Amino acid sequence: MKHQNKRSPLAAGILIACCAAATAASSDYSDSSQRWWAPGQGTPLPAYATYDDDSGAVGVLNLAGEIATRGHPFFEPIGANGRACVTCHQPADGMGLSVRSIRERWQASGGKDPLFAPVDGMNCPNLPPEDPRSHSLLLERGLFRIALPWPPKRPDGTPIDPEFTIEVVRDPTGCNTDPQYGLNSPHPTISVYRRPRPVANTKYTTHQNFGVGPFIGKNGMPTATDPATGKPTSMNLMADARFPTLAVQAEDAAEKHLQIAGKLSPAQLAAITDFEKQVYVAQVTSASAGSLVEPGGPPALGPRNLAAGEAGVLGNNTTRYVFPLGEQWKHLPRGADDAENARNAARESIARGHDVFMFRTFWIKDSMHLNTVGLGNPAKRTCATCHGMHMTGMDTANGWMDIGTTNLPWAKEVPLNPWNEERPELPLFRITCKPGVKPHPFLGRVIYTQDPGRALISGQCNDVGTIVIQQFRGLAARAPYFSNGSAATLRELVDYYDRRYNIGYSEQEKQDLVNFLGAL
Amino acid sequence: MMRQRSSSHAVLLVLAGLVAPLAAHAAEERKSFVSCPIVRDTATVPCWLAEYEGKTYFLTIQSDVSAPVTPPWLGHRVLVEGTVANEPNICGGIVLKPVHLSVLPELDPSCNTILPAEDRYNLTFEPPRPPGPSKGRLAFSYAPPPPPPPPAAATTKEFTVPYDFDGMVGFSHPRYLTPVLSYAKAIDAQEIEIVGYRGGARLSDGRTLLEDAGIGRRRAEQIAMLLKGAQLDGPTYKVSWHDEPPHVTGKDDYLTRRVVITVRPR
Repeated sequence: MKHQNKRSPLAAGILIACCAAATAASSDYSDSSQRWWAPGQGTPLPAYATYDDDSGAVGVLNLAGEIATRGHPFFEPIGANGRACVTCHQPADGMGLSVRSIRERWQASGGKDPLFAPVDGMNCPNLPPEDPRSHSLLLERGLFRIALPWPPKRPDGTPIDPEFTIEVVRDPTGCNTDPQYGLNSPHPTISVYRRPRPVANTKYTTHQNFGVGPFIGKNGMPTATDPATGKPTSMNLMADARFPTLAVQAEDAAEKHLQIAGKLSPAQLAAITDFEKQVYVAQVTSASAGSLVEPGGPPALGPRNLAAGEAGVLGNNTTRYVFPLGEQWKHLPRGADDAENARNAARESIARGHDVFMFRTFWIKDSMHLNTVGLGNPAKRTCATCHGMHMTGMDTANGWMDIGTTNLPWAKEVPLNPWNEERPELPLFRITCKPGVKPHPFLGRVIYTQDPGRALISGQCNDVGTIVIQQFRGLAARAPYFSNGSAATLRELVDYYDRRYNIGYSEQEKQDLVNFLGAL
Repeated sequence: MMRQRSSSHAVLLVLAGLVAPLAAHAAEERKSFVSCPIVRDTATVPCWLAEYEGKTYFLTIQSDVSAPVTPPWLGHRVLVEGTVANEPNICGGIVLKPVHLSVLPELDPSCNTILPAEDRYNLTFEPPRPPGPSKGRLAFSYAPPPPPPPPAAATTKEFTVPYDFDGMVGFSHPRYLTPVLSYAKAIDAQEIEIVGYRGGARLSDGRTLLEDAGIGRRRAEQIAMLLKGAQLDGPTYKVSWHDEPPHVTGKDDYLTRRVVITVRPR
């Protein structure tokens, strides 16, 4: 199938207007022009810096002190396309990348910034460059193309015999049916579209503590090991757990995203991973609740507390807590004036949101690798059940699950009808579990998905649509959310859970949760 | 009149309550059946029940991953193999203890009953794990892997890996496989023999359920793959299986569903 730009002129107009609106909104930030960190710009990265974000400011702490970025491989354009690691891991975006920044770069560069490199910054590399329609997934949802071989391969390069067949049902980007880039190309490839994850707080994302052993706690399969040490890893670094360590991820990113000639040198690799191991990110200011890092304040908040925290331990308990906030914001006294009262009300809302996260039970149903790991289906539990790692809200064990963000019937889909000109943006795949293989416990033998997630790596039916839980820190700096950017705001994220699990949150509970998440 | 009848009923119930446990004690009453699981909410954690021949049986409660018996799944039928216990009903169900539960693989959307909480069915004990955060520990503990013995003590050692009906390796199996791995590495094992078995279950109604043909082979080969994948690639592997129908009696049939791993030293 030859790719066609299927977006209507109206939709394209909306896209351009959307970009323009984002730029107009960004003018509220006095330092907007300073937010973007260009590859090779050479300015030092301070030991501690704050950047305005959607609900206040995010803090970036470098434990190693000020970083000289001149010549540093994380900050220099070491590849052929002009990108650096920092292109997609921006300090102002909590070492991730917000769609706000993406749109600002589009406006500022006319689509010429290396960020929009065809290899993965375009819906498919064969589309017309510098046309917003060719980059719509990046501009609208912050999604990069991830091209994965099919069938999957083991780390040693040998092919895996997958438990299922995969067909392309819908291909709005044209890439999965393209004769050069698609499933039937000489190098069969599946393109999925995902958000970049923040490169910060990595002692948590790469811990080797509770839940990490020779076999995966979710399914008993062998755990991926660190090729340098042979030790099992937490497999919590990537959305599909395909790379076990920072070093392996950096090598692949240099090749695939930066298009480096050859390989990173040992010195470059060490410089990149050393930097990634010492940078901490968390929200430090709330526009409504004020400073989140006052002396004696909540012990979970801010990057300094995060840097001091214990990695890879369970927090889903009343002895340690996932995000320990203490009691000080629960019942604040009446303030001296309206401003202080408003600030105190916002702090109390954050504290209530924490309690909703920690203690509000609901029925968690039909979620692969949660309901199947000993809790039963359904399980009456709380947010902290899955988001249980102390200080980050990740899973301490190897943490991929299917909560429905990419699998039908729960994934966000465009309503198709004669009155709606909007058309689906993401591909849709049909997965059929082979005869002799057990059906997926909750989705059966035939599964429709926008992104098979971990299954593209493991080849297992039970992994279809499973995505590794990611950390909750610096969220306000890097919208949109979920691996496919399907929640534009924290409120949309909360609304998704409310619908998915029929929770029945009150309006107050939703707002409190949003305020709590925005303070992390 | 009404009061008298109620009193008579109460006496009968008490008597029945006394007689039934005595009878159960005299001849251990085993139940083996396939049914839809039922969830009953309570003021704390949910209870899991199942109905068979007009009676409601209590299977387990929700706790956490460490529990020796974990709840089944709505959307699937469950094979229940248990012994009627001499205990008061829980959540309105006759207690089966010990009980073995196997979630059957095929989907059954008719298994979808969630009963609301009722005061009369609230638990009379504190569950080992509340529905929300724990108190800082797992609900249950199981024996940690044995420490590696000194080389001089290296002996042939046998490990048994249990399975649910028609089940392959799942979330609970690291607790069985990790000790094998640790021991084999500690003694620098020369050979690992793996024998997979196909099991079955004799139901209370006289029928026999057999696991999938070929599952003994698949289990044995999967265990070999997992141990090699966990970097235990020094020993030689001897893999075999028994896929003939097992002899099942209705008593401890869950033991037929297994893999036996023998680790031999040099």
